[in-house]
Amino acid sequence: MIAQFLLSALLLAMLAYALVAARRTRVLAALIGLAAMAGLYFVWSPQSANQLAHAVGIGRGADLVFYIWVVLSMLVALNLHLRLKAQSELATQLARALALLEARGNNDRESD
Amino acid sequence: MKASNVWVIVPVFNEADVVADVIRRVQAQGYQVVCVDDGSTDSSAQVARMAGASLVVHPANLGQGAAIQTGIDFALGRGADLVCTFDADGQHDAGDLPILVAALASQRADFALGSRFLGNAIDLPPAREALLRAAIAFTRLTTGLKVTDTHNGVRAMTRRAAACIHLRHNRMAHASEILTQIRRSRLRMVEVPVTIRYTEYSLRKGQRSSSAIRVLADLAAGLMRS
Repeated sequence: MIAQFLLSALLLAMLAYALVAARRTRVLAALIGLAAMAGLYFVWSPQSANQLAHAVGIGRGADLVFYIWVVLSMLVALNLHLRLKAQSELATQLARALALLEARGNNDRESD
Repeated sequence: MKASNVWVIVPVFNEADVVADVIRRVQAQGYQVVCVDDGSTDSSAQVARMAGASLVVHPANLGQGAAIQTGIDFALGRGADLVCTFDADGQHDAGDLPILVAALASQRADFALGSRFLGNAIDLPPAREALLRAAIAFTRLTTGLKVTDTHNGVRAMTRRAAACIHLRHNRMAHASEILTQIRRSRLRMVEVPVTIRYTEYSLRKGQRSSSAIRVLADLAAGLMRS
């Protein structure tokens, strides 16, 4: 029971993360949200997890939940990567604006 | 159109040994040169300025794609009629630039892209050729453009076409991004035979085979982002 509460807390946190991320990357946030909800369902309904696991050729329901967790982690890592890319783009725009401003100043000084 | 209204962008990163010669060869065609120093740690910026090029200096190394976009913004700001790109490592023939520029007018094109496989690729190592052929097949598949070359640094574009280009890939994936933006903006593109001479220096400075994996990863991330 302790593990179920612990996992639920983590999956709820993931769900909250998906809601926050939805403003930036809808597709990824939807995937994270779906995976988190599936995880919650299986944590509290292990029998369903077992049945589904057997149906898709995975030995145990616990393994299925573990795999969902791995997928979730990868999606979160991907989302962080995309956020880093966005930050990098901002830094590029700033650096470019600075470089062009400096170049214009140098050219103006040379033409004086 | 006056040759002095043609601006040639030369992205530079640690090319102090060769950049002055490259600038002089481009200037001999009558064109304006803007070097975008991409955070070099050697004396490239000073050498470029001494050689008579206009200079824009990135405060840090951002990548060749970022440098080209900076050069486009600079050239458009200076009233360029035509904008060209040209690598700083000395592997291109500056004599190809007027041919690209002429092709824009004679074929009413927005973009003229250099093709080493329509022209000459001197001393091209077999492994590099195999990688380029794979990249061309991938580019044809993903952009739908029937190009014969890709990741070739010699290009010419009209002012209108340059204004349509907004590179978001800072590093080498920008070459594929340019083709994607040409297609999206419905720009007319032609390919022109050019010569690339591979030297020990240019091979050492150029892209490694492992760069292809990074380009693919960058393009995939770009697709997720959009």
